Amino acid sequence: MNVAVNKTPAELAYGGILLPHARMEDWRWTNLRVLIDRPYPPRLPVDARSEDVARLLKASPFTGVARARLVFVNGEFDAKHSTLPASGDIEFSLPARFAPASDEPIIAMNQRFATGGGYLRIKPHGNIDAPIEFVLIATEDVPRTIATRHVTEIGDGASATVIETHLGHGAYLSNTVTEIRLGEGARLDRVKAEIESAKAIHLSHAHMTLGRDAVLRDFTLTTGARVSRQNGTCEFRGQGADARISGSYLLSGKQHADTRLVVDHCVPHCISRELFKCVMDEDARGIFQGKVIVERDAQKTDGKQSSHALLLSSSAEFDAKPELEIYADDVVCGHGATSGNIDENHLFYLRSRGIPEARAKSMLIAAFVGEAFETISHDGVREALTDLAGNWLTSRRSGK
Amino acid sequence: MLEIKNLHVKLAEENRAILNGVSLAVKAGEVHAIMGPNGSGKSTLSYVLSGREGYEVTQGEVLLRGEDVLAMEPDERAAKGMFLAFQYPIEIPGVATMQFLKVALNAQRKARGEKEISTPDFMRLVKDRANKLGISQDMLKRPVNVGFSGGEKKRAEILQMAVLEPSLCILDETDSGLDIDALRIVADGVNALRSHDRAMIVITHYQRLLNYIIPDFVHVLSNGRIVKSGGKELALELEAKGYAGLAREAA
Repeated sequence: MNVAVNKTPAELAYGGILLPHARMEDWRWTNLRVLIDRPYPPRLPVDARSEDVARLLKASPFTGVARARLVFVNGEFDAKHSTLPASGDIEFSLPARFAPASDEPIIAMNQRFATGGGYLRIKPHGNIDAPIEFVLIATEDVPRTIATRHVTEIGDGASATVIETHLGHGAYLSNTVTEIRLGEGARLDRVKAEIESAKAIHLSHAHMTLGRDAVLRDFTLTTGARVSRQNGTCEFRGQGADARISGSYLLSGKQHADTRLVVDHCVPHCISRELFKCVMDEDARGIFQGKVIVERDAQKTDGKQSSHALLLSSSAEFDAKPELEIYADDVVCGHGATSGNIDENHLFYLRSRGIPEARAKSMLIAAFVGEAFETISHDGVREALTDLAGNWLTSRRSGK
Repeated sequence: MLEIKNLHVKLAEENRAILNGVSLAVKAGEVHAIMGPNGSGKSTLSYVLSGREGYEVTQGEVLLRGEDVLAMEPDERAAKGMFLAFQYPIEIPGVATMQFLKVALNAQRKARGEKEISTPDFMRLVKDRANKLGISQDMLKRPVNVGFSGGEKKRAEILQMAVLEPSLCILDETDSGLDIDALRIVADGVNALRSHDRAMIVITHYQRLLNYIIPDFVHVLSNGRIVKSGGKELALELEAKGYAGLAREAA
């Protein structure tokens, strides 16, 4: 059977968009032709019930953090539940100024189905202390594609913490494309929490560009969705920039999460660090694909990536594909990947001090992923996600 | 307090017998030293008592205040008052020392139906115990045992013991890797915990530690059996004759 010709029902519903398949190099572990098992037609404008939105908003791990909140419900901006940032240094408008089309499957799908989005801009030299949270909510029970497209621009010398929280109810497909631009000397602390409905499919693409001396701290927690595929591209456009991209998976059941990151060192003297700490239980499967490109002129590049997996069951799986593509000759680059179980000696030590097994395991899981969480500079945000991670095992065992 | 009756243990994987009928009764307030050459089964005894996996009890029983210890999970044993000071305390990166101590203490209290300790009371308790053992605030800020020297790790074990206040302390080769100053600090820490309602089992290869922690009874373990028991003078006799000499006599 020629899968490239025989379209799946989902593809037929997507009107000409070819879903990626396992013979495409970047998609070998995430065959969307199989994983998207039915059509997710474009969403129809449906008014979400306000109480559903309120209930889902309460599920955000960041409820205890003082922040501005930009809420998108079923693909459209929800002004009623949003609290716009007060600072004059922040500009927010609708819709986002969309980026040009692409043949990358997630972007192409987004291009076709996006119904809304936000354009957030921090004016040059504006220093915004309180985090700004984008909350993307899906409330529909009927399988639908919900797509939004956002742009975040941090002006020269400006700084901000931007959170992206994905929440929902039901079996939907969420597709989010985000363009992130950091100006000269800008700093962005970006935190993404993918805590979608357990029945959802989450597809995303974040395209990040860094100007001279810009600093990016990016962390993604992936713990929701039946299937998630998150693409990230990070391009250094000016010298002296520094990007740290981290993530953590907390997966169980039959969850499938795949991250593909491409870090492109186009200019000299930039630093990139990727660190992923992934926990898989039961039949869950995690994948990390990281590619670092060092262009011919990008001398003195310092690029490192590592991914580490903690497998809590014998049927859990983790696949790592590190790639280095180096064309310059004076660089420091490296990669590493490990995979293992909870250390029995650690577990026994904690238990011998009176800590029950489930609690001891969650402490060790929190310790394992903790290194990646250190990427989050904002204390309140980091603590909120650390708590979520610490409780993950216990809540899962008690039948979440 | 503790009764070990005819305990036979083998390594589960290798099907190799390690303990061949150990019997020992320890009463509250007593300090028992268990001495023996390498491979005699000393560490196995401590691990079996604390519930480590990998050992199979083929015969015998262990009772803690009349309760079957071998049927309990390691954390239940701890909540019942048992504490093992490890020969090689392990490093646990990412788990903060203070959090670990607090979770452990409160888990034990909860299991015993007691109220949890408040944070200020806990801080005071740890600070007080740490000062007495020469443990700095900086050490307490690090993850469990991470970056500690051999001596610091042993002191940290005694700190845990002092905070958790167990009724049965098992010290496995606590003297190994300690210089004479560190040995004195650790021994002082242990002696401070001696009391009429607390029992201790001190496992050691050398007599040296017993100059500082004076035992009430000394037992010699050889080939998985207690071959000789006596008072504190037995340790000195061992030092003079060596284990080989004693084993010949016992045979």
